[in-house]
Amino acid sequence: MGVEPKKRLADYGLQSERVMWVGKGPGKFEDELGDLERALGLTTLEKAVHWSQTKSMWPDQFGLSCCAIEMMSVVNSRYDIARFGMEAFRASPRQADLLIVSGRVAHRMAAPLRQIYDQMLEPKWVIAMGACASSGGMFNNYSILQGVDRIVPVDIDVPGCPPRPEALMEGIIRLHEKVQAGVPPAYELRGVAS
Amino acid sequence: MREAHGETTVVVETARVVEAATHLRDERGFVFLADISAADYLGWGGHGVAGYIGTAAGRDLNFPATQGLAALPEPKPKRFSVSYHLLALGERSGAARVRLQVWVEEGEPVPSVVTVWPTADWHEREAYDLMGIAISGHPNLKRILMDEDWEGHPLRKDYPIGGEPVRFSGEE
Amino acid sequence: MAVAPETARPVYEGTRIPTPIPTVLQVPEALRESGELLEVNFGPNHPSTHGVLRLIVELNGEEVVGLAAAIGYLHTAFEKNMEQKTWWKAIPYPSRMDYLGYQANELAFVLAIEKLLALETPRKAVWMRMLLCELNRIQSHLVWLATAALELGAISMFWYSFRERDTILDLAELVGGVRMHTRYFQAGGLAEDIPSGFFVECRKFTDWMPSAVDQYERLVNRQQIWLERTKGLGLLSADDAIALGQSGPVLRGSGVDWDLRRHEPYLAYDEVDFDVPVRPEGDVYARYRVRMQEMRESTRIVAQCLDRLEGMEGEPWIADDRKVVLPPREELHTSMESLIHHFKIVTEGYRVPEGEVYVPVESPRGEFGCYVVSDGGPKPWRVKFRAPSFVALQATATCMSSAYIADMIAIVGSLDTVMGEVDR
Repeated sequence: MGVEPKKRLADYGLQSERVMWVGKGPGKFEDELGDLERALGLTTLEKAVHWSQTKSMWPDQFGLSCCAIEMMSVVNSRYDIARFGMEAFRASPRQADLLIVSGRVAHRMAAPLRQIYDQMLEPKWVIAMGACASSGGMFNNYSILQGVDRIVPVDIDVPGCPPRPEALMEGIIRLHEKVQAGVPPAYELRGVAS
Repeated sequence: MREAHGETTVVVETARVVEAATHLRDERGFVFLADISAADYLGWGGHGVAGYIGTAAGRDLNFPATQGLAALPEPKPKRFSVSYHLLALGERSGAARVRLQVWVEEGEPVPSVVTVWPTADWHEREAYDLMGIAISGHPNLKRILMDEDWEGHPLRKDYPIGGEPVRFSGEE
Repeated sequence: MAVAPETARPVYEGTRIPTPIPTVLQVPEALRESGELLEVNFGPNHPSTHGVLRLIVELNGEEVVGLAAAIGYLHTAFEKNMEQKTWWKAIPYPSRMDYLGYQANELAFVLAIEKLLALETPRKAVWMRMLLCELNRIQSHLVWLATAALELGAISMFWYSFRERDTILDLAELVGGVRMHTRYFQAGGLAEDIPSGFFVECRKFTDWMPSAVDQYERLVNRQQIWLERTKGLGLLSADDAIALGQSGPVLRGSGVDWDLRRHEPYLAYDEVDFDVPVRPEGDVYARYRVRMQEMRESTRIVAQCLDRLEGMEGEPWIADDRKVVLPPREELHTSMESLIHHFKIVTEGYRVPEGEVYVPVESPRGEFGCYVVSDGGPKPWRVKFRAPSFVALQATATCMSSAYIADMIAIVGSLDTVMGEVDR
């Protein structure tokens, strides 16, 4: 813990809103991130560790429905994620770092999802891909879990129905940036059980 | 028997379904069972029909379209209908598709047609699971889409859609 | 390598449908008592199941002696959800069921609505719908090929197939705005006019596609491992296939010549020239060859549709019935009636006359049927979808008689099931 001045996300060269408004100041995301950064006190070794974590973050195969097809599209040669070192989708959660929940999660599937998440080893991240994983999507009914953040802590939500492969890549890149900036995985921020 | 929209529907009594099914399969060549659909008609004709619509109770200010003649849909004989969609494969000059329909009340069992068309197995399980149609004589009548210990039959009209109210950001 | 003679001998004698439960392969009692069985759960999350399928398998060594499928892990209550929405708002729902062959799903629902409404669609819409459905068929078979080959170990096929698939999705994006689940089909025709530039791009695709299919076949058709892992496995005779309600490539791979596009033509399939591939062997290899040939035939159909569509510039793309079809946006500024109609159609919904219909279409997986009951109101009363994958999974137990566990992967892959439509 040093006495450095509070560093903002922008000081790392990251932008929270990568959109059109020039001159927009740091938003709520950066405020929260700033508090975290102060609490974390990053060192060079940690930075190196985080860098290497992002460079080969292997996803776990958890394709459920339509988003899974777009997730498979991200692997193909046009939207290659092999350039991020992530084309090795592991079948075993013990070997995976990233859980991309792609598709609608029925209540019946929630238990296996939680089991897979528990079987992953720390550090682990979760991307809720698509509208159904983030919030239940267009299915507000008795059968679909209204957002996978009810049962696993989620780092990034990617909107879309289904999100384009480029949108998923944007989510993945933002996750990489978060990790490199030193933001801890979601289970440390929000608690494992929710 | 009735025809509508170019489709033929044959309505039989529930007890004679297997006999009718066997007749259709063996004598008329409907070897292919495409689908078994169950429908729940609870609340049929409660409000609103085509064209200028009305309700039996007259105009209702909450339903703006009830400003016209009262016309209700044809009443249905019982609460549930189970339709067997059959197909006769091969080049035919006559009707190639037919719908065999039975009507049941709540709890009334429908004999299983698994012996006639083995594909009926899962279709009947689904009708039981989602609509609560009791199928008698089925070798493996368990829930198929819902959990084994789920209570209630989701696709019935008196089963709520569930889900939850949508929260908006910025409100607490 | 020896090619099996294509004679009309039966695939196997009698019937292999297990009794008394047709969908469960039961372990013979003698074997159960020997105590050598291993019960394995191929859980909902498994690298080789297409989506969330759970198979409870009993193994005697490497041989599968008992099989039961548990589904429902993706149950989304589509049918109940659609009852809550108006007809217009319910149209995006069916696409998400069979998420690979999404155009066929939309088509079935929209055709059912039009049948109840007795609405005539303009011919431009008919031909464009046909074109998009065939493109979708190619796209679905490409994903099937990619995943089936991936599971058997022919991993490079994935990248080759997805290259073409991305081209098709670009075409879909050109017309519909999104790659998948375009809600481009509406009751009455198409949502919007065909954008300029589409025909050129589509023509490039149809010119290139046959050589792409040649590439896939060169990769795998004479590869000894592929042949040994697919020939003679997953046998399903024609009678069993019909009794089990199979349709689509599974039925055609078992020797039954039945294709809804040829025998019960909808849209304009009776005006295009195409062949229906049928193979008598009834094994995994036959289904693979059927699907490859179907890709070629679909490209032919797409080319013919393009020929016809290029002559239809400037024609209407949706029916004229203002009670059902949204008016063009320019009119909303000037015409009061258009504004009112737009308002009523969007908020209350158009009313579909009372009745029940069943509309089958040929989806890439087989006969996709949509049974719609309308009470004359703005919302569907009951919508039921006949999903071909639901029925195809029932055939797993029959296909699996005397198979090894590695074959199980190949067989389940060849049935081409999409769990979204199985669980609905």
